[in-house]
Amino acid sequence: MILVKDAVLVVKHLTVYRETYAALQDVSFAIDSGTDVAIVGPNGAGKSTLVQAILGILPRQAGEVFVLGQPLSPKGALTHAVRQQIAYLPQNFLFDRRIPITVEELVGLGWGKLGFQVPWADSRKRHHAVREALSRVEAYHLKHQLISGLSGGETKRVLLAYCLVYPRRLLILDEAPAGLDVRGESEFYRLLYHLKQEQGWAILQISHDLDRVRRHCDRVLCLNRTLLCQGIPEVALSPDNLAAAYGSEFVRYRR
Amino acid sequence: MTRILELFQLPFMQRALLGGVLTGLMGGMLGSFTILRQLSFFSDALGHSALLGISIGLLLGLNPSMVLLPFAVVFALVVTYLLERTRLWTDALLNIIYSSSLAIAIITLSFVGQYKGGLNTLLFGDILAVRELDLVFSALLLCICTLFIGMTLRTQMLMTLHEPLAIARGVSVSAHRTAFIVLLSLVVGLSIKAIGVLLVSAFVVIPACAARLLSCTFTQYVLLSAGLGALSAVVGMGVSAGLNLPSGPSIVTTQLAFFLMAMVFPRLRMLARE
Repeated sequence: MILVKDAVLVVKHLTVYRETYAALQDVSFAIDSGTDVAIVGPNGAGKSTLVQAILGILPRQAGEVFVLGQPLSPKGALTHAVRQQIAYLPQNFLFDRRIPITVEELVGLGWGKLGFQVPWADSRKRHHAVREALSRVEAYHLKHQLISGLSGGETKRVLLAYCLVYPRRLLILDEAPAGLDVRGESEFYRLLYHLKQEQGWAILQISHDLDRVRRHCDRVLCLNRTLLCQGIPEVALSPDNLAAAYGSEFVRYRR
Repeated sequence: MTRILELFQLPFMQRALLGGVLTGLMGGMLGSFTILRQLSFFSDALGHSALLGISIGLLLGLNPSMVLLPFAVVFALVVTYLLERTRLWTDALLNIIYSSSLAIAIITLSFVGQYKGGLNTLLFGDILAVRELDLVFSALLLCICTLFIGMTLRTQMLMTLHEPLAIARGVSVSAHRTAFIVLLSLVVGLSIKAIGVLLVSAFVVIPACAARLLSCTFTQYVLLSAGLGALSAVVGMGVSAGLNLPSGPSIVTTQLAFFLMAMVFPRLRMLARE
């Protein structure tokens, strides 16, 4: 059992209702720094709901969430100091492509705190961080482009730079690599590995790619409305556990 | 030209010019976010509904300008509440609200009897009737808008781009949304006297759209939108004085001219490059 004060993220007995049904019931787990944890489960299992409840985007009906030892208030509030330590990449990042914002401006929004400040606050430090982050995802050449002109893969890389532009402790990814080509995807996982190993980031990612999960993740949470099992990939992704999450047909097919 | 300069020696023309510039700056600045958040129709609906506020004021024997601002704020809060609570489309809901308030306003006006200002003034405004007190209010509101948008620029940008991303960063999206709508309705409410209920939304929408077509970065877009708003007011007032045309419509026509130029300009530049 990981203690609340040591873990990056602790979720205790989390229950979330959507409309009238329980999308999540009594989910408990904890994540330590420097670990990569995957959430797997079929469509409609409540994976995105779980992530959004942790971030305070969706309200919860019961349970507790602690990020870096600090409780998430029932209304979904955390202090700015803790918020700055979290980065989130949503699933199907849909935005209005007519919004005239450049890659550089978008990545800059990820830096530091938001709130009352003059627009040019710390601009030199911010520009430097934006340059570094864009170089790391090999998107520096896109700096001055409007986001309307980006391809799907480029958009993903730029959003990853938005997450990387500031040092974090927890990175939450909702099916992040979808839309990247084979090379982009392996680059992406290499980058995650680096963040985890060398900078001690904790990573919580929703994934459908069970082979990737087996190779890259330290722990797996099998979810289908409730937490069916959790553990190292060899155990959590064993045929019995997969059958419980996805149904036995699925396991027979994969063999 | 000398005629225009002579006219602008007159105090009421100077007040009108200053009022137009202040309204242009505020409308352009807030308008840049309004169109991206797809709230253009909100300013239109508020303009039309303001007639209800004015007619209630007349019925109660109050000065219409005194009623407009509180009415605009209440209207904004009610619309925001309804938008969050019902699952209807924004434009459909706004249509219900504005056509019904317009209907009630006309019925109310029929009880008031002969309004000495005339319906025409309400519909198209009278920028020449702008008083010093109006200018003080406008200047104050411009300061508040600049301070609010300036100090929360990055938050506003993130919210406009993707709300869940902003929530994940700890932005209180609903509080920010309400604050923005209240400011927008104050700007619209304050401008109605000068520009009238029918044309007021042009100040919010047209300069911002023109700026969108010309901008390469977000910051540039917001500044250009405010700048075009002010410039249209100056040029429009000049045209109005020189050709003896109604001032509100002259400014809106100038905004249209800038918009059309903004549509053509990038193509010209591309042609020149070839």
